[in-house]
Amino acid sequence: MTRNKNVIEVEGKVVECLRSAMFTVQLENGHQVLAHISGKIRKNYIKIMLEDRVLVELPPYDLTRGRIVFRYRN
Amino acid sequence: MNTKPFTSGPSENAVMITRVADRQWHALDDDLVVGRGHAQHRPDGRLFVSIDAWHDATFDRLAEAMLAQLPAPLYTVVDEADAELTAGWRRAGFAVRRREWEYSVPTDPRVTGLDDVLPPPGVTVVSAGQADEGLLRAVDRAIRDEVEASVGWQSMPAEVIPRAAGDTIVDPAKYAVAAAPEGYLGLIRVVTAIRPRIGLVAVRAGEQRRGIARALLAHALGTLHRSGFTAAWTEVQESNQAASALFEGIGARPMSSNLELVR
Repeated sequence: MTRNKNVIEVEGKVVECLRSAMFTVQLENGHQVLAHISGKIRKNYIKIMLEDRVLVELPPYDLTRGRIVFRYRN
Repeated sequence: MNTKPFTSGPSENAVMITRVADRQWHALDDDLVVGRGHAQHRPDGRLFVSIDAWHDATFDRLAEAMLAQLPAPLYTVVDEADAELTAGWRRAGFAVRRREWEYSVPTDPRVTGLDDVLPPPGVTVVSAGQADEGLLRAVDRAIRDEVEASVGWQSMPAEVIPRAAGDTIVDPAKYAVAAAPEGYLGLIRVVTAIRPRIGLVAVRAGEQRRGIARALLAHALGTLHRSGFTAAWTEVQESNQAASALFEGIGARPMSSNLELVR
């Protein structure tokens, strides 16, 4: 887990692709969060698919939600 | 640095909208970053914006600040299934400019029906990595000019890759082509970074409706199938009915859609 500019970022793996452009991501600590794709990723047409390794930003108010801010190459 | 306070948002504290760089904005709530805005020029010169916020009020204030400081027109991209984000951009005055469907394309010839498809007489398919680069660039340029002169070249690239102005071919080895004695007539580009994507299939205007595109697809999908891939994906602009018919005719299924919005 890292904190960059007061933002909590955690690595995880996409375990489920849901409707409404949402994904279930299993974090390193075993917890699962409901995550959407960041606008910056979408703006660059980077696709997120099942089993992708991703970096998830968690909101300061609700640790069950997340935003995928980076997709690792493998 | 421009800083603008407001009092709505996730806490009772004032959320500050701050321009932290030329094209970056932060929404700060009690020193926590609760939203971000970003603007980025595409290689074609268009300015795309994005906002990530956890609450609608924060999104709206970031949009207000960004739109006040950026020149029009501004563009953004949303997954059509993401109703919340789409609604946010609509509140900011953005409207749908165009829609692209993402298709999952089967590779199995028994599913696509392309197992017996051959190019028309006098035309051969040259495999990826074996095309002459000069002829490849020539046919790519010719096709793009033909499209620009008719409906215009529109694209949502899979990933925006910086490259020299005017260079539309990043890696010539990714292209298979349809060749005739007088030159190349069409091309198909398949990139397999993590999963195969058909980035482009196109045929010269005067050579269309001869089965060349189907032959290129048969070649490319057959190659993927033999390599163990069961499906590829591609995007088709909604208004391109010929492309939709081509892919749906081989069993491709629309999986999702992206909207390009403009204000």
